Formats: sequence, C-alpha cells, structure tokens
Amino acid sequence: MSDPFDAALDLLRRLPPSQTQQNLASIISIAPDLEDDLLSSVDVGLAVKRCPKSGRDYLCCDYNRDGTSYRSPWSNDFDPPIDPDDAADLVPRGKIRRMEEELNKSIDVYRELYYEGGVSSAYLWQLDEGFAGVVLVKKSSGGAGKGGWDSINVFEIIEATSKRSAHYKLTSTVILDLGLKNDAVGGLELAGNLTRQEELDQPLAGLRDAEIESSHVANMGRMVEAMETRLRNLLQEVYFGKAKDVVGDLRSIRLLSEAEQERQSHKEAISKMGGATI
Amino acid sequence: MASKTAIISSFIEAAPPGELSNVVADIKTLVGDDLQSYEPAFKKYHEEQYTAVDVPGGSGKVLLSKYNSLGSNRYFDPTSGNSFAVSFPSLKTSDADSHSPETSNPDLIRSLQAAFSKSAAEHFPSSTIGVFPIGSDIAILIVANKYSPQNFWNGRWRSTYVLCDSGKLSGRIKVDVHYYEDGNVRMQTEREVSGVGGSVGAESVVREIAKAENKFQEELNRGFVTMAEGSFKGLRRQLPVTRQRVEWEKIGGYRLGQDIGGGRSK
Repeated sequence: MSDPFDAALDLLRRLPPSQTQQNLASIISIAPDLEDDLLSSVDVGLAVKRCPKSGRDYLCCDYNRDGTSYRSPWSNDFDPPIDPDDAADLVPRGKIRRMEEELNKSIDVYRELYYEGGVSSAYLWQLDEGFAGVVLVKKSSGGAGKGGWDSINVFEIIEATSKRSAHYKLTSTVILDLGLKNDAVGGLELAGNLTRQEELDQPLAGLRDAEIESSHVANMGRMVEAMETRLRNLLQEVYFGKAKDVVGDLRSIRLLSEAEQERQSHKEAISKMGGATI
Repeated sequence: MASKTAIISSFIEAAPPGELSNVVADIKTLVGDDLQSYEPAFKKYHEEQYTAVDVPGGSGKVLLSKYNSLGSNRYFDPTSGNSFAVSFPSLKTSDADSHSPETSNPDLIRSLQAAFSKSAAEHFPSSTIGVFPIGSDIAILIVANKYSPQNFWNGRWRSTYVLCDSGKLSGRIKVDVHYYEDGNVRMQTEREVSGVGGSVGAESVVREIAKAENKFQEELNRGFVTMAEGSFKGLRRQLPVTRQRVEWEKIGGYRLGQDIGGGRSK
C-alpha cells in the first residue's frame, strides 16, 4: 500500500469502528494533505439539527454543508445563513429542488413505515451529466441495550437521451452500533459499518417534466428500500451469526475430545453403510 | 489534538487481532517514520494481547505479559526455567539465562501448568497458556487466536485469572472479533469473573475456570440473541406493519399526521 489515501482508508477499516470520528481527526492531524479527500469519502455517524424555519429535524453531512452551515431540506435555507453569492451556487432550484422536495416527502413516509421513528433527509445536486443525491436515515433504540442506525445512500443518475429510462448507481453504507451491559454478559459492544453497491436501469414514466421527476423519486425510493432491507439482513447475519461463529471457533463449550469421538464413530457408521447395496 | 507519538501509539495499541502488520504498514505509508521510536507502544500491545513467542534454545512458545515481565525487556518462562530478552517490534528472542522465579508454591505451579494445559486442549483448538507466580499469588493466563484473513475475519480470546494465597480465584475474560469484508465490524466483550473461591488443588481450580468460561460463553450466546431481538429489531423493521413493500407511485397519498415537530425523532 504505497498511496497515503488508501493507507488512511485501510487504517480506518482496521481500527475500532466506534472510534471512526476521533481516528479520522487524528489521521488528518498527522497527514493534513488528506483532509478534503478523507472528509468526503469516510462515512461517520450523522448529526441532527433543528430547522429554525420549519421546526423539523434534519440530518447533516458533507453534501448539505458549507463551512459550518448546513442546509435544511425542509426550508431549503442554510443555518447559520451563508453569503448570498455562495447560496446562489449551493441552494438547489427548479427541477432539482422540486425532485428534492418530493423525495424528502416520500422518504419521510418510508422512514415512518420501516423505522417507526428516527429522522430522514435527502439532498440532490446537479452534475455535468445527470444529477446526484444522498438519502440519509438515522434511528436510535433503547431497551436492554443501546442501538444506533445511520444509513447513507449515495446516488448517481444519468437519463437516457430518449428520456424513457435512466441509469441509477447507488452506494449505500449502514453504520450500526449496538451495546449491551448486564450482569450476565458483562459488557458487549458490537459496532461497525457495511457498504454495498447496486447499479441498474429503470424506466421513466410519462412525457411531461413533472411525471419524469416523480418517476425519478419513485425509482430512487425503490432502490433505497431494497438496498436497506438487504443491508439490514446482511448486518443481522454478520453481527449475530458470524460473530457468534467466530467465538465458537475460538473456544468450544463442549469438550473437544468428546466432539472428536463422536465424529469418528459417525465416520465409521457411514463407511459401514457404504458396504451395503442400495 | 494529541501529539503524533501519542496518536500513532494509540493506533498500534488498537490494532485488531492478527492485523498488527497491516496497521503498521498503513502507519509507515502515512508518516514514514522509523518504527523503532514506537517501541513502548509495541511492547504494550504485545503484553496486553499475550503474544506468544518462541522460547530461545527451547521448545514451544511462551506468552508475553506484565506477569512474567522482569523489566528491561526480559521475560521468564517457568516451563523451561529460563529468562530471555525480547526486542520490539521484531519480537526476536535471545539471551536465554536460567531463572527461578521466587515462589512459595513451586509444586502448585507445576500441577497447575499440567492441569490447565490439559483443560485448555479440551476447549481451545489452538491456544497458549501461562502460569506465573506473582509474589504469593499465581497468575493463570490463556490466549487463543483464530485468523482467517482470506475470509476477512480474525478473533482472539484472552482469559486472565489470579489465584490468591487464600484460594480465592478472580479474573477477566476478553473476546475481540473483527470482520472487514466491504466494511468494518468489531465485537468486543469483557466480563469479570469473581467470587469463585475455596479452590484447593490444581484440578479443582482448573475445573472452576472451565465452569466459569462455559457459563460466560453461554451467556454471551444469549446476549447475541437479546441484542438481535431487542435493540437491533427496534431500529428497522424487515417490512412495514402492512407486511407489504412500499408502493412508491402511490406514496403521495399516505397520511402520517406527523408533519410538524420534526416527526418522532428518536
């Protein structure tokens, strides 16, 4: 690994995921040239802010940030306010803002149906060819332990020249933190993140702009739903299946000599059966 | 922000099982420093992780810990009756010298080594144990590793017990698992074992330890289930309560009644 940026990413994948934010700051302090690239490529837990105009909560990430200000998807304003010249470049209008509004409304419903709480936000921006966006969801849970889910779904979308379909590229990361503290188990921490990608063409219904825009929103929503469900199931498998399996590989509750004896007699029984005609 | 030395030392100390060399390679690429200057961090890592090294001029391995450290990077191995030097970060061992640690109970140490060795082989497919006198007490350690980098996971189990003069046994079990296929998932668990007392004789002590570890492992497995059915399930459903996926074309018609107040942000 001779490239410092790759080394930084690899290091962040090895160090405890619950410390990603601090480790990111530490790496930037010893390799300051990497700051911009790292901040835009590394997923960290999402911060929540209250939109002063609408009174609603929204999520903060690099895509709705300008300096220390963040843009609310509900009011479309930066808080604290930014220079009007900068705002002219950064605040979406027209088609992009219309789609962004509709996407936020739809994702809000999706969030309530699957998460029954939490906060969601979506941000879109124009590219030279096509447009891009991010759909974010944050949810915490209590109970016997503590839990936190942050999902970051990044889109890149290019419409076909015919405008009858578009190509959607999605990269999704879920950051999951779980903890359990009780007398029986002592302290148990399971923290991490998984990233997966998906790419496909989907049709665009209708001919008028409004219909095409709604089509994009529905297509993006469909992909987010499928991907987050897939990641949820994968996380369940990895966190609870794999971790438990590895502990079982490290130590066996059952005496190994007993297990070996059983394996041997099983083998003998099978080979005896092999002699019989079937 | 902490100093560069403190930061890099913390990275070394936090390396996951089986991946120290990867972490070191990354650090080298980032700062290009001579790693010898981080010798204290490497020493701390190996003593905490119970790294096993080859006994110089002997057979078998001995684990490194604060319990068998003699200072000046020398450690002792009761099995061979030797002490030896270790250099960090290379882990090369050298300069073996005979060494008999001060202990009021050499027979107990020997029988504990034999009994614990046997018991470890019954529960750990691969492990290294250490039985070291510390004053009038005895430290009983075990480290078990499983590395599968081709499948992007590694794990380590460490048990630490102290058997007091009085016969009281107390300890701590630590398990650390890392999974990193297109992601980074870390499981760390720590459990105090205490109040196991009145053990007399090596066989009885080793039996108590096996019992406590079985109990811990059973409760850990139950802990996974508690988490899966509790805090994990409470995060995101597999399907909405309607048991059907969202009809995205019709989503505009859904009514939530949560328009104001930021929704139920939890």
